[in-house]
Amino acid sequence: MGMESARAASSDPGWDVLARVASGEGDAFVFLVERHQDRLLRLCERLLGDIEEARDAVQEVFLKVYRNAGEVRPQGQVYTWLYRVAVNHCFNKLRRRKLVRFLRWESPAEEAETVPFDPPDGAPDPAAALEARRRWQATRRAIAALPDNQRAVLVLARFEGLSYKEIAAVLEITEGAVESRLFRAMRRLEAAQESDSSRVSRKEGRR
Amino acid sequence: MNRATELDLMRLLHGELPEDQARALRGRLEREPELAAAWARLERTWNGLELPPAAPAPSGFAQRALARARREAGNGLSWATWSAAPRWVRAAAAAALAAGLVLGVGAGSWVGRIGQATDETSSLTEPSTSQYGDPSLAETYWDSLSATETTP
Repeated sequence: MGMESARAASSDPGWDVLARVASGEGDAFVFLVERHQDRLLRLCERLLGDIEEARDAVQEVFLKVYRNAGEVRPQGQVYTWLYRVAVNHCFNKLRRRKLVRFLRWESPAEEAETVPFDPPDGAPDPAAALEARRRWQATRRAIAALPDNQRAVLVLARFEGLSYKEIAAVLEITEGAVESRLFRAMRRLEAAQESDSSRVSRKEGRR
Repeated sequence: MNRATELDLMRLLHGELPEDQARALRGRLEREPELAAAWARLERTWNGLELPPAAPAPSGFAQRALARARREAGNGLSWATWSAAPRWVRAAAAAALAAGLVLGVGAGSWVGRIGQATDETSSLTEPSTSQYGDPSLAETYWDSLSATETTP
């Protein structure tokens, strides 16, 4: 299928913006980045668990987009393609991180523990703010402990609100595979939440 | 409860179940306590996944991305990344890395074994005095005494 006919088949005007990026229009690139930067940043932060690393990752994703804008075949929605590039980029980063951890003889638990605390969320009740932070930390730890493919499906479903069909399109897998990965991820998360709540109740029992 | 029902619960949670099936499952949830407990667990896990609101992109992010893209586009060498390399080049590099690792590990364990063997041999060949240092005064005395006794 040629570029023109493929573009005609797709209803997303974002492909036209991408075509303008391919022809070197800086404004079109800025428009594309501004339109998608927040959602890609959110996705990368959820996948990588680190905001600084996520910012770097998003910039690298847009560099890839700039480089490959002329080669991409318009199909579906632009954001689906962008999500795919971002997820694959984050997977590569996670693989590199695992290799570094392996070479340094670190355990995955150490990585999960290094996730930084978030700034206060402005809640008037300090105890509630502390409790919220504890829950966020627990969620981050649990997500970080998931295998990459389950993590991606979970993040896209829970935090990006994508349907099974959209997730399947982003990850280029079947809807059945999405369902199966999500199911396994939920099983692990359930176990993680149970162990977290029993740890908290043990801690409170000691006080 | 079988896996198919569990998957249906997940579909219900995500709004992926067709309306008639969703209605039927909701009816079962009212009648079957075990199913209702599984549903409650699933909902609790799902809702328990909380993260702070994501930080927005810093201001000027798009302009900086454009500047970097143009800078790198102007510098042809910067595109020579691994991702841009042909698949066979990446495969060959990965194979060379793996071979190097295997050789390194093999050589390391071989050198370790040689070292261990040297230690073991040296402990057998070295004189026993090395264990205690110089012969003691008492040993010298008994040696000289036995020498005088054997001398005619």
